[in-house]
Amino acid sequence: MLRLKSKLAIFNLLSRLIFTSVFIILMPYLVERINIIQTDNELIDKREKVIDLITQIGIDPFINLNLDNEAFGSYNILKEEFISLERADLEEHWNFIEITRRIIEDEEIEYRVLNYSFEVDGLTYLLEIGKSLSSIIQTEKNIKNIIWVFLAFIILITLIADQYFTRYILYPLDRIINKLRNTSSPVLFDKKPIETTTSDFQQLDETLILLMKKMEDLLQKEKDITVNISHELMTPISILRSKLENILLQTKQDEETASRIEESLKTLHRLKTLVNSLLLIARLESKQYMKNEQVPVNEVLSEIIDEITPVAREREIVTEFLRRDEFILGNANRSLIFSMFYNVVNNAVKNSESKGKVRIKSFCDDQRHSVHISDTGRGMTEEQLKTIFMRFNKRYTSDEGGTGIGLAITKSIADFHGIDIRVDSNVHRGTDFYFLFPENS
Amino acid sequence: MNVLIVEDEKSLAHEMAAYLKSEGLICDLAFTGTDASEKIAVNLYDFVLLDLGLPDYNGTDLIQEAREAGSEASFIIITARGSVEDKVKGLDLGADDYLAKPFALVELYSRIQAVARRKFAVGNPVIRIGDFSIEMSTRKISVNSKTVELTKKEYELLLYLVLNRNKVLTRHQLYEHIWGNMLDDQYDSNFIDVHIKNVRRKLNEHAPTPWLETVRGTGYMVNPDQ
Repeated sequence: MLRLKSKLAIFNLLSRLIFTSVFIILMPYLVERINIIQTDNELIDKREKVIDLITQIGIDPFINLNLDNEAFGSYNILKEEFISLERADLEEHWNFIEITRRIIEDEEIEYRVLNYSFEVDGLTYLLEIGKSLSSIIQTEKNIKNIIWVFLAFIILITLIADQYFTRYILYPLDRIINKLRNTSSPVLFDKKPIETTTSDFQQLDETLILLMKKMEDLLQKEKDITVNISHELMTPISILRSKLENILLQTKQDEETASRIEESLKTLHRLKTLVNSLLLIARLESKQYMKNEQVPVNEVLSEIIDEITPVAREREIVTEFLRRDEFILGNANRSLIFSMFYNVVNNAVKNSESKGKVRIKSFCDDQRHSVHISDTGRGMTEEQLKTIFMRFNKRYTSDEGGTGIGLAITKSIADFHGIDIRVDSNVHRGTDFYFLFPENS
Repeated sequence: MNVLIVEDEKSLAHEMAAYLKSEGLICDLAFTGTDASEKIAVNLYDFVLLDLGLPDYNGTDLIQEAREAGSEASFIIITARGSVEDKVKGLDLGADDYLAKPFALVELYSRIQAVARRKFAVGNPVIRIGDFSIEMSTRKISVNSKTVELTKKEYELLLYLVLNRNKVLTRHQLYEHIWGNMLDDQYDSNFIDVHIKNVRRKLNEHAPTPWLETVRGTGYMVNPDQ
């Protein structure tokens, strides 16, 4: 996968290479053509001048038959150019340009020669004006060199300009991509429109903002529905509970009926627990809890240890709290933090065999505070590990009374506070939970 | 004591009334906010149990109305919305306590008693049970002027049983009272048993506790006659 910027740059480079190649292939021909046309024009120009001169001063100064002066010739020192005028008997009028070889002072030189015939006093004369090919080729070379330098310069300049321009013009797109990249949930999407003069980017940005708002609304609605349903369920549960309690308290039943009513109350309690847990998670996800307390983490942990230890001792499970470093979590909700740890510690005790050990370690490592909760219990397989934070997952929580939502609650509370959780587990060896607190708190 | 139950769910209102009557309270019912408003204006109540989710009335307006009319009734808010914020808001409005649905009837009655104790308490109430005396303001339990050391949870458990003496309290009810709603998922009947066991052990070091009975299959009860 390539970035748009790179693709454009590659396209620009390729298109220039093709253009340059075509130009290089055609250049000799073009330069030659231009040069020949130019040379020919010069030759014609000179012919006009010579004819003008002859018209003015007559042919005599050049050719005087009486003085046996039948031809006139002139060339410059380096023999680059020559002019010759002579009597000629021609059957037709000559006016053409050709390439021929001439021998001048024992030197054979290739010339581009203009041949022109004209009549003066009934006599035909031939005018030849030549320009050496080597001088023409030299001019060609010069032109080519200039074109080369110019071409290289243009390509370099346009490449750099292209680079800057694409970067400038694609900047809004980069910003949109960055906005998306920094968005873990629609709520967090930056809804301020980006500044751009490109309507496509503006449309893209507007569409994204609209989409995010819609998603946010939908998510909020979903959470509201969960909250409302949960509330609506509480009243009927309450009615049933009161009725059952009254039956149990105010009428005489045999033991079997009483225990059946007890069972019904327990079921009702489970229902209430489920609804409450869903409500808790929905509220956490829509951030309906206050986070305005400074929570001393070790105090909370030691409270949990105090509560759990009697139950653990009953089952001959040792609990241990290593209070290495103190830590105060700011902007937090104490009772939520309590629940977060409690669920894990309680699970650890429940999943431990007799003579097992549950250990809590609170320490600071690399500027980051961590709480490590380990047990020597049954442990989990890789497969089980993947789903432990999912709602209604019963594999890890105990069979008695648990709804399998405890760890989902723990995860939601941790997310709410920006705490990372890592879990390691080995079957029959035990499980390790690591709570990593945000660095800046 | 006179209690007005304001609850639009008639069925629930009747159950609450039935239970509170069995505890010796006089109960009046109002199924709408308007009805409740009229009743509060006319009658003198010691307690108003107020469901905040009334269809025709903003429950909190009722509290304000009652206060403005000079009613000295204590308000206990009952609501299906159980969040901490709601609770704080309710108490800010002048309610005396707050109970989330679904509640145990015995818990409702305990809350009424607790508010009544706060309201009418004179000096330092001391409850005697067996050879022990519980000083409620200092949360101290002593026997022959020797203090029994209990943890906070153990004390609360014992006090709840003592205050509801002669009533069988299920493990559920005890658990709910002590740990509230927060940790519901972790309900473990074993918890209560372990705590009761520890309470018994600690008390028995000082004096016997035949009054703390285990009701087989159900829960626990304080029976002062034992």
